[in-house]
Formats: sequence, C-alpha cells, structure tokens
Amino acid sequence: MADGQRSEHESFDRRLVRKSPWIFHFNSGGCNGCDIEFVAALTPLYDVERLGAKLVASPKHADVLVVTGPVTLQVAKSLKLIYDQMPEPKYVVAIGTCACSGGIFSGGYTVLGGVEKVIPVTICVPGCPPNPKEIFRALEAIYKGEIKVAGGGCGEEQNRG
Amino acid sequence: MGRSRIEDKAYTEPHSIVEVASKTLSSYPHLVSVTAVHDEKEKSIELIYTFSDFRGALKNISTRIPEDKKTLPSIASVAPAASIYEQEVSELFGVAFDGNPFTGKRVLLPDCFPNDVHPLLRNVKQEDLEKVVAGCMLGEPQIYVTGSSRYSAESVILLPFGPYHPALKEPERFILVLEGETIVDVIPKIGHVHRGIEKIAEGRTFLQDLFLVERICGICSFIHSWTFTLAVEELLNVKPSKKAEYLRTMIAELERIHSHVLWIGLLGYWTGFESMFMWIWRLREKIMSLLDLLTGNRVHKSFIAFGGVRRDVTDEKLNTVAKTIAEFEKDYKKLIDEIMSYEPLVERIKGIGMYNAEHAIRLGAVGPMIRATGIPYDIRKVEPYGAYDEIDFNVVTGKGGDVFNVTMVRIKEVLESINIIRQCIEKMPRNENPVPKTLVIGVVKEGEAVARTEAPRGELFYYVKAANSRNPHRVKIRTPTLANILLAADMLKGYTLSDVPVIITSIDPCFSCMDRALVVDKNHNSVFFVDFNKLRKENKRIR
Ligand code: SF4
Repeated sequence: MADGQRSEHESFDRRLVRKSPWIFHFNSGGCNGCDIEFVAALTPLYDVERLGAKLVASPKHADVLVVTGPVTLQVAKSLKLIYDQMPEPKYVVAIGTCACSGGIFSGGYTVLGGVEKVIPVTICVPGCPPNPKEIFRALEAIYKGEIKVAGGGCGEEQNRG
Repeated sequence: MGRSRIEDKAYTEPHSIVEVASKTLSSYPHLVSVTAVHDEKEKSIELIYTFSDFRGALKNISTRIPEDKKTLPSIASVAPAASIYEQEVSELFGVAFDGNPFTGKRVLLPDCFPNDVHPLLRNVKQEDLEKVVAGCMLGEPQIYVTGSSRYSAESVILLPFGPYHPALKEPERFILVLEGETIVDVIPKIGHVHRGIEKIAEGRTFLQDLFLVERICGICSFIHSWTFTLAVEELLNVKPSKKAEYLRTMIAELERIHSHVLWIGLLGYWTGFESMFMWIWRLREKIMSLLDLLTGNRVHKSFIAFGGVRRDVTDEKLNTVAKTIAEFEKDYKKLIDEIMSYEPLVERIKGIGMYNAEHAIRLGAVGPMIRATGIPYDIRKVEPYGAYDEIDFNVVTGKGGDVFNVTMVRIKEVLESINIIRQCIEKMPRNENPVPKTLVIGVVKEGEAVARTEAPRGELFYYVKAANSRNPHRVKIRTPTLANILLAADMLKGYTLSDVPVIITSIDPCFSCMDRALVVDKNHNSVFFVDFNKLRKENKRIR
C-alpha cells in the first residue's frame, strides 16, 4: 500500500514512533540467549540506537515491548500488567522461538507457551536465538512504519509498505 | 576426571543424616548438591548428598525415605548451603526437611502452583501438569510471604527487588528488609525462569535432551551440554578422540571469555559507566564471530555430540582463531588498563560486599566467588576433563572477597582463557576425525553418573540416571548461580541500598521493580503481598 493511502490513524502512529521507538525489555522466562542477542543489537556493532531507539526502565515510557523467552506462570501476570501500563500506540516484538510459540520448553509444568497467550504480538522474530541483525530488522520495520500497531498475531506482517 | 559413575554410595538411615553429614563435612567441606530420585517400584525417594573436598574427591551419601512418609531432618544446621538445595527438593518432590529455614515458603515454583502437586515425582503425569498450568491462570494469585513478627514493623521497610532489568539475565527477586538505608535481611525468591527442565528431560530422549540442556542458559550454554555429555559418555562408556577434547576445550574457553567480558560490561552499566559497557560489548563481538565461525552459531552452539563433536574444524579456521584472539588480547588489555585506572570505578567497587573464605565455603559458593577469597577451587584443575590435563594454566585467585576482587578474578581469567585457547590450537592433533559415526545413541544401560565442570560462573554439577531406556530416568542439574545465591543474599547485609546493584551483579543475576506491592501491616506485624490491581482498585492503604 502506498503511503498516501494509509489511514490517518496509521500515519499518526508512524509519526509518533518515527524518531524514538523506546524499548522496554522483558525476559518472560527465557534462557538469556535471546536477551544477550537483543542487548548485542543495542551495542555499537549493530546499534539500534541509531534509529533513536533507547532502552527505558519504565513501561510507561515505552513504545515497543520486547519479550524474550517462553511465558512462565510466575511472570504471566507481570507481563500483562506491563503491557497494560504502556501507552498507545504500542508494539510487541516477540524475540526467539520460545517467545513465539513456547519453543523447546513447551510442555514444561510452569510454561504457559508463547507470548501470544497473554498479550497480542505485533512481530515475531523466530530463531534460537535470532541473530542481532534479525532483531535489528524487526525494529527497523517499526521505525519505518512498515508494520501496523498491535494485534496482528504471529506471522502476519501486515501492511508492509 | 570431571565425571564418574556412582558406584560407592555410603548408605545411611534418614534419622542419622545430620550426624553423618557433619562428620563428612570435616573432610569434604563443600556440599555440591542434594539430589532426589523417585523410585516408583520401590515406592521410595532416594536422596543423594554429594560432598567434595577442594582437591577433587567426591563423596556420595545416600538415604531412602518411603513415599508415604516423606520427612527427614534438615542438614542446614551443619551445612547452611543445604538450605536452598533442600528447599528445591521439598518443592519438587514434597519432601519435608525438619529445621530448614525456608520451610513454609515458596522459593522456586510459581505462586499459583497448587501446594499438593510435586511435579518431579514420577507418578505425576504430563496430562495432570497440563491441567495445573491451565488452572493456574484462572485464580488471582495471592500469597503470604511470611507471617512472622521477626521484624518490628515500625522501623523496617520491605523492598521488593526484582525480578526485571533491561540489561540483565536471569530474573530473580530479592526482598530487602531495610532499617533506614541499611539492609538487615534478604529473602530470595527465585524461579521466575523455572521452566521445569528436569521434568521435560525425563520425557525426551538422550539426544533431544542434549539440545534441551544447552538451552538452560544462553551464556554458559556449551558447558551445560558438555557436562551432560560427560555424564552420558560415562554411562555409555565411550571416549571422544583427542581432537574432539581439544575442540571442546577451546569452545568452552571462548564461551568463558564471552561470559566474563559480558559481565565486565554489565558492571560498567551498573556503576553508571555506560561507555564502558558499550566499549566492552563491542570488543566481545570478536569472540562471538569466532564462535559463529567454529560452530555455526553465536549463542547455542549445538557443537557437541556423544563421543565427539558434530563438525570438524579446518586448519584455516584455527588460524583465523589464533589471529583474532591475538587482536582481541591486545585490545582487551588496553581497554582494561584504561578502565581500571579510572578511579571512581575502582573506588565504587573496593570494599563493597565483603566476605571471607570461611563464609564462602559454608554457604557453598563456587567459581570466581570462592576464588576471590584465595581458595584455588577450579574444577578444571582439581578434576581435569577435556584437554585441561595437558594444558598449562594458572588458577586465578584474589586476596579476599569483595566486588573488586571478584572483578579482578574475572578480568584475569579472560587472559588465562586466551592462553588456554592458544595452547589448544598449538597442541591439537590435526589429522584425526573428531566426529563420531552416529549421533543417535538409543537405549542406555542402567546406571548413575555424575559430572562436574567449571562453567564461567563456577562449578556445574550434573547427575544422570539411566534405566535401560531411551529417556533418562532422572537428570539433576545444580547450576553455579544456585550455589552462589545464598552468598549474594548474605553479602548484602550491612550495606546500603545504593550498593545493592553492584553487589548483586557481582554474582551475575538481575532485577528491577514491578508486579506487586509489599505491605507491612503495622498492627499485626505481618508482611504480605498485595496484588497490584487490588491495590489500585481499593486505592487506599490496606490494614
Ligand atoms: S528461543 Fe532459544 S535462545 Fe531464545 S529464550 Fe528460547 S531457548 Fe533461549
């Protein structure tokens, strides 16, 4: 879809996060593999900060919620709470196969499954763990406004420009 | 040799365990682990207490309790380190340990988990657990942490610390009891990332488990799969080729560098020196690229196989490793020089979180934490596995426990690892095939084996039991962080709130604040958690 055809709401979203997709990072029970690759994406070699992205300490400042790992029972409510605290429009990026579907840990007695079980997901980045380049690409897609706000569900990249 | 088959267990009666343990401790001062194994046929639970001295000798003491009367005395009074291991067993198997300080608390399982379900019992079926998981979401979890009046509510503040922070890994929560600004007590609540791996492992084949255990931790991933492999190879009675041993050693050391360097970076982050974090992480990418080159993966290497490694490494690649490692060493030395000559940083970590050797031993600390106090306890040296017995390296020790010494130990260990990698490349036999003929192993004959290795964070312990089946009967994993957590909690006492990040990071965990509020009820002297939503709804102080 060409830019001009986007609804007003969408372009508004886009403008909002245009220069500052601030990120809140949430480990929902992962093995750290995804976490360190995500953090690596922030550091000089990959450097998502050049997109204006910044790690923030409070979900109330965040536009993008990055979730890594399968959702365990212990954290499920916290995840929902954090999501609710984020202002609209918000994006949820599920990083790693675990966050996408529960991955290798599905069937564990404290594992609920993918992030989708608790909150709507905008982009899934599968991989165990995904390369920082892939993580960069996902955040870049948000930055460029190629992806519509929350609720799309895994696998359906909507409205790619 | 890093691993052994358990053949000589000393049996003892449950009621005399404290006595036996205290006697054993005099010659084997380090409690490695408490392993529970459920035997369905005999209707009993076996408890194996593994002790070790600091020269590599292991001693296993075993006792059995019947399924219907699962109580025995706690050995925490003689070995404080046991408290957290016993607590783990008590939650997962429903065994009650008389006199354990954690009794009545939930440390590991989710708050909403029913009290009468003990997931690691063999007769608890997958379907039942699935029902528990489904049911768990429905109720509003509300748990009392403690109802004791240990603290006079007038003067203390309880601060939930954790479990989330952006730059960190394993979420862990510490509840800090503060008097003014000083910390007087710490209650750890772990298990936010408890995924029930030991149970999942029982339901999958040995080969599948190899990939599962690798995913326990994304930072010490290779060493997990290696330790598991060591135990399984012991059961299978196979030995990898020399070249495979060298390759494994090399990957493990690259992993140690990546882990330590990552931590040094995070120390910068925590002390408010963010450029240090960025510089160091940038340097670390060199090591990541080497791991990628050698194994095809950056994080979960999936490099090991029972009886060898999964792919050979060409000489050309080895040359690249040698070259890159040399570059890394040069940059690293320069960077560390710069960082450690920055006084505000050094002042910030010197004399913070002090502890002594005796303390570290009592609380079961391992790895850099115990070495910082001057005890050269390194499994690579005391119980060499892989190619370590053919390699000449030093065990780095510090001059007394505090954050500064722990940091110095890690910094120097990176240089030692570079040295090991260099020797690996030199001494590696070049024309051997390290890849085994088949990766699948099928049925494993009955037996029990333990394996220990030196993970970046310290001694890692695996216990594997096979029962003539394709799946393991039991896999028990004791990770170094669990061993260090009591020490971390203890180190905090007496320091101020502002020192907490630095002290907690010194062992490697993580935090930040959210989820529920903790309320101290003045009138009843009790402490409990209140659900955040409820607090918001009621919008007033709860009395
Ligand atoms: S997807 Fe892989 S790396 Fe990421 S949390 Fe899961 S197991 Fe770890």
